[in-house]
Amino acid sequence: MKRAIYLMLSLLALLGLLAACTGVQPAAPASQPEAPAEQAAAPTEEAEPAEEAAPTEEAQPAEEAAAESAPATREETLIFAQDLTDLLSLDPAVVYEFGGIVVVGNVYETLVSFDPGDPTIKPLLAESWDIQDSGDMWTVTFNLNPAATFASGRPVTAADVVYSWSRAIDLNKSPAFLLIDVAQLTKENMQAVDEQTVEVKLPKTVSPQVFLSILSFTIGAVVDQAEVEANAGEDMGSTWLNDNSAGSGPYILEAWERDAQVRLRVNPNYWGEAPALKQVIMQNMPELANLQAAIETGDADIVQGLGSEQVQALEGNPDIQIVSADSTILVYIGMNAQSPPLDKVEVREAIRYAINYDEIITLLGGGGKLVQEIIPAGFLGHTGQNPFQQDLAKAQEFLTQAGVAEGTEIEFLVPTGLAPGGIEFSTLAAKIQNDVQQIGLTLNIQQVEVSELLNIYRAQEGEMVFIYWGPDFPDPDGNVTPFTNFEAQSIAWRNAWDNPEIAQLGKEAAIEQDPERRAELYQQLVERVMHEGPYIMLYQPTQIFGLRSNISGFKYDPIDTPNITFAAISKN
Amino acid sequence: MAGLVLLVLFVLLALLAPVLSPYDPLAQSIPESLSPPSITHPLGTDKLGRDMFSRMLYGARISLTVGLAVVALAGGLGTFVGLLAGYLGRWADELLMRVTDIFFAFPSLILAMAIAGALGPSLRNALIAVAVVSWPIYARLIRGQVLALREREFIQAARSIGVSNRQIILRHLLPNTLAPLLVQASFDMGTTILSVAGLSFIGFGAQPPTPEWGVMISEGRNYITTQWWLTGGPAIGILLLVAAFNLVGDGLRDILDPQLRR
Amino acid sequence: MTRFIFRRILGLLLVLLGVSVFTFSLAQLVPVDPAVVALGQNAREEQIAAYRAELGLDRPVVEQYFIYLRRLLQGDLGNSIRTRRAVAADLLDFLPATIELSLAALLVSLLLGIPLGILASTQRNGLLDALARLFALVGGSLPIFYLGLLGLGLFYRQLRWLPGPGRLDTTMPPPTQITGMFTVDAVLTSNWPVLQNSLAHLVLPALTLGYYSTAVLLRMTRSAMLEVLSQDYVRTARAKGLRERWVVLRHALKNGMLPVLTTVGVTFGSLLSGAVLTETIFNWPGLGRYATTSVTSLDFPAVMGVTLVAAIVYPTVNMLVDLGYHLLDPRIKLD
Repeated sequence: MKRAIYLMLSLLALLGLLAACTGVQPAAPASQPEAPAEQAAAPTEEAEPAEEAAPTEEAQPAEEAAAESAPATREETLIFAQDLTDLLSLDPAVVYEFGGIVVVGNVYETLVSFDPGDPTIKPLLAESWDIQDSGDMWTVTFNLNPAATFASGRPVTAADVVYSWSRAIDLNKSPAFLLIDVAQLTKENMQAVDEQTVEVKLPKTVSPQVFLSILSFTIGAVVDQAEVEANAGEDMGSTWLNDNSAGSGPYILEAWERDAQVRLRVNPNYWGEAPALKQVIMQNMPELANLQAAIETGDADIVQGLGSEQVQALEGNPDIQIVSADSTILVYIGMNAQSPPLDKVEVREAIRYAINYDEIITLLGGGGKLVQEIIPAGFLGHTGQNPFQQDLAKAQEFLTQAGVAEGTEIEFLVPTGLAPGGIEFSTLAAKIQNDVQQIGLTLNIQQVEVSELLNIYRAQEGEMVFIYWGPDFPDPDGNVTPFTNFEAQSIAWRNAWDNPEIAQLGKEAAIEQDPERRAELYQQLVERVMHEGPYIMLYQPTQIFGLRSNISGFKYDPIDTPNITFAAISKN
Repeated sequence: MAGLVLLVLFVLLALLAPVLSPYDPLAQSIPESLSPPSITHPLGTDKLGRDMFSRMLYGARISLTVGLAVVALAGGLGTFVGLLAGYLGRWADELLMRVTDIFFAFPSLILAMAIAGALGPSLRNALIAVAVVSWPIYARLIRGQVLALREREFIQAARSIGVSNRQIILRHLLPNTLAPLLVQASFDMGTTILSVAGLSFIGFGAQPPTPEWGVMISEGRNYITTQWWLTGGPAIGILLLVAAFNLVGDGLRDILDPQLRR
Repeated sequence: MTRFIFRRILGLLLVLLGVSVFTFSLAQLVPVDPAVVALGQNAREEQIAAYRAELGLDRPVVEQYFIYLRRLLQGDLGNSIRTRRAVAADLLDFLPATIELSLAALLVSLLLGIPLGILASTQRNGLLDALARLFALVGGSLPIFYLGLLGLGLFYRQLRWLPGPGRLDTTMPPPTQITGMFTVDAVLTSNWPVLQNSLAHLVLPALTLGYYSTAVLLRMTRSAMLEVLSQDYVRTARAKGLRERWVVLRHALKNGMLPVLTTVGVTFGSLLSGAVLTETIFNWPGLGRYATTSVTSLDFPAVMGVTLVAAIVYPTVNMLVDLGYHLLDPRIKLD
């Protein structure tokens, strides 16, 4: 008997030991990926990255220890819960997912930006700028704010700016097309004239206003060149930037616990006004029910993405304020224009007329409004027309015209988890499948996690893809180019839809300076895309936030990057 | 026993689902979204207004069909391999033992998930995944039985008369392994149903709008305490069906126990 | 004895080799091109080709396997497509959490299952026995994910008796890392607030995960004890006039524990499986949840890594249990 007990205890102890051995690891996971890189490098270089990496990580805590005495209390911490499963990167040159953009936008700064709620572009790292027409090019000159410094203490110089943008172009990740294709920025056309002056040349086919808007997005963020180069590793510091930050914003990245949370700490060397809250924890919470519970118990201070049932349950709760705001996101379905039977425009029209849009809006229960065009409400060029309504007879006619057999199957890729607007993607997908079934087409739903879905989509390998889009900069072209310009390798490309005529219309409208004429052009374009394009535009979600009643300073502005500025938030 | 009665009930319900269902399990009715149980909808409706009672019945159908398919596949393959390995012995047996060891090394759900993930999310692939995970158990079981029976007199006798190996395996060995096979199959049905429901729950089995019980629990999980009928129904369905198989397995084992001992 | 250990370890290594072949073959089925995923859609053809060559993807499959095996032996499990870190780093990060949860669940099932089983066996066919058997039946038949969801919904969201998903409250910093298991580390560093908090967070997941093995252990203990209690030497002890409790504890229990011990080894495997669903529901940052998110995002290096690790841990534990079995009763012949 005793032996049995001893045995079981030793078994348990052994398992514990196993955990212990694995547990005793240096805390920084960033150091590990660098090891293989160091093995390849020459001996002289080998010492440097290891030493640089360690001191920077250790130097900061030492500085922090001097600057702050105690860890942040609950009152000084903002806990923000939302679905962060699409978070893939925290490198400003790479990040292109909503969750990541909010983090990066609060940690890094751009040359120009927006004040929440104000659509006019404002200075940030650049205190002034100048646009000259120099014949065949635009010359944009930025004068940097000499007071601006990085969290490391180093000043923000023109060299850092040029480095950051060149790096983004070189890395050439998902958001890079904004600089390369839309702004047509090249490394040769930008230079640091002196410490505080950056000069950029743009071809006449680019609108300077659009360029400035793009710069307000995370792709234009300025990183601390010295910091990033010291930790470049094999990918220009991309891996290192997932766990460390090198920005000038009011917060610095303390840690990214994958799938769990992102922790931000106040930047002790911030050159601007210090934020009220010393710590921000972005908590990954993909379940609606848990979001509701978290805001009710106060486990979270702000939750994002509540659905209609949660709003109903929380209404009247004195501890909670519900904030609804229009987003600029558009939820849509993309159809691959080269994949039969979707390659026939009649089939795409048929599907568009098969869907019951009213019932979808009902399902959303206030979580979204009907929008059937590629320009969201609130932007110049938005027509407000919603020509599609469920008309099964018409849809059937289109199908017969196209000669598509009954029972044809189409693969329908659907993300797992919540759609913007507070409803599960699978619910909406089932509704759409049901509607389309009525005209004899069978949609085979395949649920995939959104990061993987984007991979498949971006490779042009989806047939019908259920997804959403948020413009990267506050200009209708932020949607029009991706949706119509095949060469931009964005949405049109993902759906294998190349229509040079419509793309040309979009390019004209982008640089048109007269707002009225611009709106006209967009109206034409939008209408054509509605009926010829590969898209089923469904709705524009309303972002619904739950806030504890002691939170003030919260503002959601979809035009601004980041949409939510943490530095402005405080607790009473 | 209670188990058998329950089982027969479920089989009947599943077979008669098309007749007994008041509605098409896929028929949506948005205006009736999330209605509590009532006379028109005895188990309420889900978010899309689909009748839960009908979906429950069809769910039973799916679970039973899938369970049978898996057990048939896994049991068939496993028995075949086990018979061969046990009878041919030595190198064939060693090989089998090693191969099954490899399969046994994996925790079943993790392996099933990896397979289902590699093949793509669908009910059919989940079925294959669970079958791949389950067959080694049958192989080992049958092999053990055959090893024990091989040296018995009646087998020796048959061999000495010159009966072919194939005849011996089919006519003498196989029938005597049926007892433990049935017991295992019964328990396995229960395990399979749970595994497939689990896979469907995380999105790697049945896809919406299939009324599979695991999918239904996943769809209703945000309403588990508020609109309890969305998850309660399928959960109790799984519970009762699996329990039925467990009870039947228990009962079978008790009856056939004396045979097993030998 | 040493021969036995040696043989078992050799067998284990063979199995692990087979496991590596199996996992590698599985990964070949996946339709995802790791080069494109790693470099992004905008990468140019030459970049993709170069990356593929670097990964060895243009070599014949068999050669790729050996490259894979060599990397494995160096501890290189590749890089996770999703977290952009070495898979080995991810696994080491998440392993302690799973071990903590599994141990807690094991503890629960030992503390609940065995005593209940003993009680049931002594009260055969009585009310307690019937209740215990019902409890065990439900445990073996109820889907674990429903139990977890219900527990969360009831005890966290409705009653607020227990905290929500996660290992600790969001604001509570984890204890100094010694083993990686928060409860143990908290005790070792006398960090009582963290101990209390992490135990509170552990309750629901451990109970959920442990229910199935509690059921199994209960039934096993009950039948083992019933078997033993009908033996001659027990009857002799009773005839001698010894008190029932003494009979049970002193004479019957020791022998009844043998089959229970084997069951413990087997239930560990089911714990790993159950951990997948439990961790997903409770947002527990362990291997199980890592496995789920890796599979759903088709992050195959990660899936292979987790599968491999699981396939190492499980037979290792079994081997240890077998060893223990022999130690417990030297009369039992070894395989």
